[in-house]
Amino acid sequence: MDSIITVSSLVKVFANQKALEDVNFNVGHGEIFGFLGPSGSGKTTTIKILTGQLHPTDGKAEVFGVPTSALNSPYYRKKFGVLTDNSGLYERLSIFDNLKLYCDLYDVPVRRIDEALDMVNLKAEQKKIVSKLSKGMLQRVLLARTLLHEPDLLFLDEPTAALDPANSQHIHEGLRQLNAKGTTIFLTTHDMQEAEDLCDRVALLNKGRVQLLDQPKALRRQFSDATVTVELRDGRAIILSTGPEAAETMHTHMVNNEVAAIYTNEPTLGDIFVEVTGRELI
Amino acid sequence: MTYSLRRVYAIFQKDLKDVLKNMFITTSLPVPLVFALIASRDPNPPVEAHFMFINLVLVMITAFLQSAIIAEEKEKNTLRGLMLSPATTLEILNGKSLLTFVFTIVTIMVGAAISGYEPANLWLVAVAFLFSIFFYLALGTLIGLYTKSMMEASVLLMPILLVFGFGTMHRAFIEEYAFLSFTEYFPNIQLLELAENVQTGAGIADVWPALTIILAWSIVMFLLVIIVFKRREIDE
Ligand SMILES: Nc1ncnc2c1ncn2[C@@H]1O[C@H](COP(=O)(O)OP(=O)(O)OP(=O)(O)O)[C@@H](O)[C@H]1O
Ligand SMILES: [Mg+2]
Repeated sequence: MDSIITVSSLVKVFANQKALEDVNFNVGHGEIFGFLGPSGSGKTTTIKILTGQLHPTDGKAEVFGVPTSALNSPYYRKKFGVLTDNSGLYERLSIFDNLKLYCDLYDVPVRRIDEALDMVNLKAEQKKIVSKLSKGMLQRVLLARTLLHEPDLLFLDEPTAALDPANSQHIHEGLRQLNAKGTTIFLTTHDMQEAEDLCDRVALLNKGRVQLLDQPKALRRQFSDATVTVELRDGRAIILSTGPEAAETMHTHMVNNEVAAIYTNEPTLGDIFVEVTGRELI
Repeated sequence: MTYSLRRVYAIFQKDLKDVLKNMFITTSLPVPLVFALIASRDPNPPVEAHFMFINLVLVMITAFLQSAIIAEEKEKNTLRGLMLSPATTLEILNGKSLLTFVFTIVTIMVGAAISGYEPANLWLVAVAFLFSIFFYLALGTLIGLYTKSMMEASVLLMPILLVFGFGTMHRAFIEEYAFLSFTEYFPNIQLLELAENVQTGAGIADVWPALTIILAWSIVMFLLVIIVFKRREIDE
């Protein structure tokens, strides 16, 4: 699998502080890549560098095989889409008129508006004026705007942060469909469940570096202590690891019909995060 | 370098819809026309009476509208989306300039019809207007690039209104205070004097110095815009 994003030894220093120290990762074509990390760890900064909004201080950042400084031509602009955490819409205009502008700018037919709004569950409300929308609706309009031109590569900075679970799930479904049609997705989120459900691989950014990078499942296994918790009908809970002795105990409880539930003790992504970063994610 | 008229027009269309729904702007647009009405009450108004409203159009519409629609894109965080789209900054600014230009021309024509201004040499005056409009467009663009909100832009406009907005009042000052005579070279004064001379029969041979001065102001302002612009291409 060749890479659509290549980042190596990336450094970004702001006037008074080092945001990225030595960041390395690749994203393959067709992946859904989760970029996780505590607040202030540099996720948005990385997206800004990868989309040409910020210059790297040092190191390599390539997208579509070219340095990010070359991305400002209309050709590349049509190949990627970005949802940033501070994008705005024209408040006095309708949802439709907001999207119509972007159809014209990206050279896509107006019928795409219906399709994109459908994906975020807002097709019926396209005549609404933006100033009258709720926060979650604004977020969904912005997402629809980002998807209008069906980009090859999509950067989503906390796309579901303001959304209720039903809308989040609807959008996850849409993102999976988009991904199945070939769009690579680079996504940041503080929602570990979202990362686990959606991402093929996740990276954990902390203290200016990528500290972990793997499939969510592989990470859980890596951090697992390979034990299960067995809850018995009398309310006791016992922790068993592998081995003949544990098998014996388990066998006995099961034969006696005493087992109420069995839980795996594999950590969640959230557990792994807290363990690696040493602090609770916000 | 690619340039797409389609994208320029898309920005123009968007801004047109947006401006027509912007109360702050739609209520200030007709203000210059009030002065055209005032001029129309004189059966035979002097040229400078017409220029009361024309100067106001150039400041309150050409410079202000241009600065407001640029500043507001920053205020509402909509500029980032445009900058990340295939639209180049030149296309974005051209779309906005086109809108401001259309509003300027329409208001001047409506105002002239109201006040009854008929230049003795339409083409000569039209060229002088065109050069002047470029100057105020560039000035508005500069203000728009420097300010972060529509309110800030309108505050910055006040001193400009004082300097360029009330052209004819300068004369009284110049007579009183000789050191202010350099204001003779301001584009608004040059435009007014050109129009007055044309009305008394002057041709291109007589007014070319005024035309050149106005054009020079536009070019300097335009270069300033480009310099500011190059510096601000990437914001950190
Ligand atoms: N324009 C800037 N100027 C100076 N410092 C900045 C700038 N942008 C970001 N930073 C700093 O860089 C660090 C990383 O910020 P960034 O926004 O990338 O974090 P993040 O991982 O996206 O956080 P969050 O999860 O809260 O969105 C922070 O310490 C922030 O203060
Ligand atoms: Mg962020």
